[in-house]
Amino acid sequence: MATEVLIRPQVREGKGAKVSRREPLWCLAFLLVAAVLLHLCGAILRPAHTDYGSTWQAYLAEPRDSIDVLFLGSSYAYCDWNPAVMYGESGLTGYVMGGSEQTPAITYWYLKEALRTQSPSVVVMEATSLFFDRYQNYTQINLGYMPWGMNRVRAILECAEPEKKLGLFWDLYFYHDRWKELELVDIKKAIFPSGADSLKGHTAVDQIFEQTADGPFLSEMRQSEEVYQQNLEDFARIARLCTDNDIDLIVTINPTYSQYVSQVYDRLAEDVLVTRNVRFVNWADSFAEMGLDPTVHLYDGGHLNQDGAKVFSAYTGQYLRSLGYEPRPQTGENRAAWEEAAKAWK
Amino acid sequence: MSFLSPSYFLFFPITVLGYWALPQKARNGWLLGCSWFFYLCAGPRYFPLLIAVCAVSYVTALALEKRRRKGLLAGALCLFVGLLFLFKYLNFGVDTLSRLLALAGLDWTPMVPKLLLPAGISFYLFTAMGYLMDVYRGKVPAEKNGLKCALFLSFFPSLLSGPIGRAERLLPQFSRLHKFNYVNLREGLFRFLWGAFKKLVLADRLAVVVDTVFAAPQNYGAIQVVIAACAFSVQIYCDFSAYSDMAVGSAKVMGFELMENFRTPYFSKSIAEFWRRWHISLSTWFRDYLYIPLGGSRRGTVRKYVNVLIVFAVSGLWHGAALTFIVWGVLNGLYQVVSALTAPLRTRGRSVLPLREDGGIFALWQMGWVFLLSTVAWVFFEAGSVSGALAVLENMIKPVLWDVGGLAAMGMGKKEFLVAGVGFLVLLGVDAYSTKEDPARKVAYSPRWLRWCVYLALLLAAVIFGSYGSGYDAQSFIYGQF
Repeated sequence: MATEVLIRPQVREGKGAKVSRREPLWCLAFLLVAAVLLHLCGAILRPAHTDYGSTWQAYLAEPRDSIDVLFLGSSYAYCDWNPAVMYGESGLTGYVMGGSEQTPAITYWYLKEALRTQSPSVVVMEATSLFFDRYQNYTQINLGYMPWGMNRVRAILECAEPEKKLGLFWDLYFYHDRWKELELVDIKKAIFPSGADSLKGHTAVDQIFEQTADGPFLSEMRQSEEVYQQNLEDFARIARLCTDNDIDLIVTINPTYSQYVSQVYDRLAEDVLVTRNVRFVNWADSFAEMGLDPTVHLYDGGHLNQDGAKVFSAYTGQYLRSLGYEPRPQTGENRAAWEEAAKAWK
Repeated sequence: MSFLSPSYFLFFPITVLGYWALPQKARNGWLLGCSWFFYLCAGPRYFPLLIAVCAVSYVTALALEKRRRKGLLAGALCLFVGLLFLFKYLNFGVDTLSRLLALAGLDWTPMVPKLLLPAGISFYLFTAMGYLMDVYRGKVPAEKNGLKCALFLSFFPSLLSGPIGRAERLLPQFSRLHKFNYVNLREGLFRFLWGAFKKLVLADRLAVVVDTVFAAPQNYGAIQVVIAACAFSVQIYCDFSAYSDMAVGSAKVMGFELMENFRTPYFSKSIAEFWRRWHISLSTWFRDYLYIPLGGSRRGTVRKYVNVLIVFAVSGLWHGAALTFIVWGVLNGLYQVVSALTAPLRTRGRSVLPLREDGGIFALWQMGWVFLLSTVAWVFFEAGSVSGALAVLENMIKPVLWDVGGLAAMGMGKKEFLVAGVGFLVLLGVDAYSTKEDPARKVAYSPRWLRWCVYLALLLAAVIFGSYGSGYDAQSFIYGQF
């Protein structure tokens, strides 16, 4: 038939049709090599991230079960708390595992992941994120730097904007275009990941906020009731996780000029304290009590600068000791590292 | 669902695994289900239209086989052309008519509903019309199995942007027993990766330059405008041939042979040859179902030239409902007519020059002309309007050769141009090689280490240097809109 003639015969079909038993294994090997190479390219092209939160690589380099206090939250957490200073003041080791504009939903997965290597006595969570929207601006960083595993996968599926999910599952989607600015250091950091960091998750900012004359800026709650309730549900999950792991939970509002009206804080306290074993502290207006000077210690309207963070972290250390938290024993090497880190801030 | 979307990377392996895992009897049903799912992902709104076209084609073909009735064929063809007109040309037709009436002093501005163009309509309607004409001519038997007929018209690799299937070639493949063939898998993988490379590294990268310069050609020097026009010639080739490569590769993995749509068209030595090597499935469709029925070259030279112009004008219109596409089509037709008319003169001229007809330099000279002429025609294809196209052409010959903005002002930095340049050299190399041997087959039979290197190099080049992801304006396949 004419139709048969028109179809190109399968050249060497016999050879191709015979598949040796090893061939599927070779296929798998090829897929594995491709996956490894793609992962390596992703690791090289993804920019290093060593400050402004989400410093997971340094966190994972901390000796196992060596952290007394885990700080959670948004930029208020990583700007305001300097664990090295707190150690110098109280002997308590700490780490800030927060991210920029991090929502409570992401914070839950951060805590879940963080508890895989550490068993803190207390979690201190800065609570401004309970007033955040469902999606904030830094999901790409907050989830993109989480270590790979089920927690990251579930966090992406649950907390990321739909349009960001693909890039969060596959780094190259976000970062492949960095080939233009690639340097040797990028390759180095992918092959030899950095170790523990003396900043312990803190980001030191050194500007001074100058518009303090009129006092704190007060605002009403902006997000919808529905989003707030969702945030409270996520907070309840955080609290349950702490309870399940026998960890105390302290919720704070840190000293800030970017405040909500007192009714908002009152309601927050009420909503948070519904959960058992939670302590709520509102330090929004406690500048004088802590020895903070708004004209010197604020970075912007909201966050403390590095000098303010020193004062506040020392205060936090004393506060935690006053609540009965004791430093856990450390190895000689780790103690020396902490003392070195604390010395740098004196 | 685009071939380069994450959903396709999930859809395709599932489809292929299901295809090989199922018994032969169930395979066509599985493929049809998958093809319809693929189409539904492109937009469920016009899915019933595809089903209706399948049903009408099936019933009409059976009736035509029973009794060759011209009226029945004409009725079915009118229905399909009418559908195409309704969805694709109604606005353009009414707009053109009201403008013509306005010239005569009549005011007629009817309200025309804006219909969304159903995905792939130009392709599957042409497939259906070709099938009916083939059955009418007795070239192929009508397919008795409705499922196979529907699969022929809906086969997902070629459904949205071709290659336009031919019944004599594709339909029998749905009746054949396909055994898993490892070489097909290797060939298909190469074709797919090569397509991804051309689309992501070249076509979508060059699109930035083309879009930037074509948007305001007056802001650039003549050389920059020429570069942008040449870039579009390469872009559209890479874009469309990439789609065809991925379609052919996807089908190949399952053991199906689709028609090759491109054979290194820019290596052609005449415009006529270019059209034998560019979008082959459409060119041959017009040849078989329009040019030859119009009389082809059998009714004298003048009629032959008129037929060529008609075919190319219709071809232009097929690409889009705009004057620019008609101008593009007619221009390509004119090239052929003028080429045929001046052939004796050019032959005499060549005899004076010390050039061998079969020499390399002369071949390059001819290829250069083909590229130049097709580039001028592509300007009309890409520009949004005829006046816009004329502005681009005008700016190609202005005295200012290079605007101070340099390469960056054209939308790409030096490194981007370097990548585009290297990619272009790779394209040239592979295309040149493909004139001697099929690269996909060569790679499929290469030693494992070499095969892996080629696959991995294409994969990594596409994912690292490709234009996609955040920060990019994702370019859909150009022919997807036809």
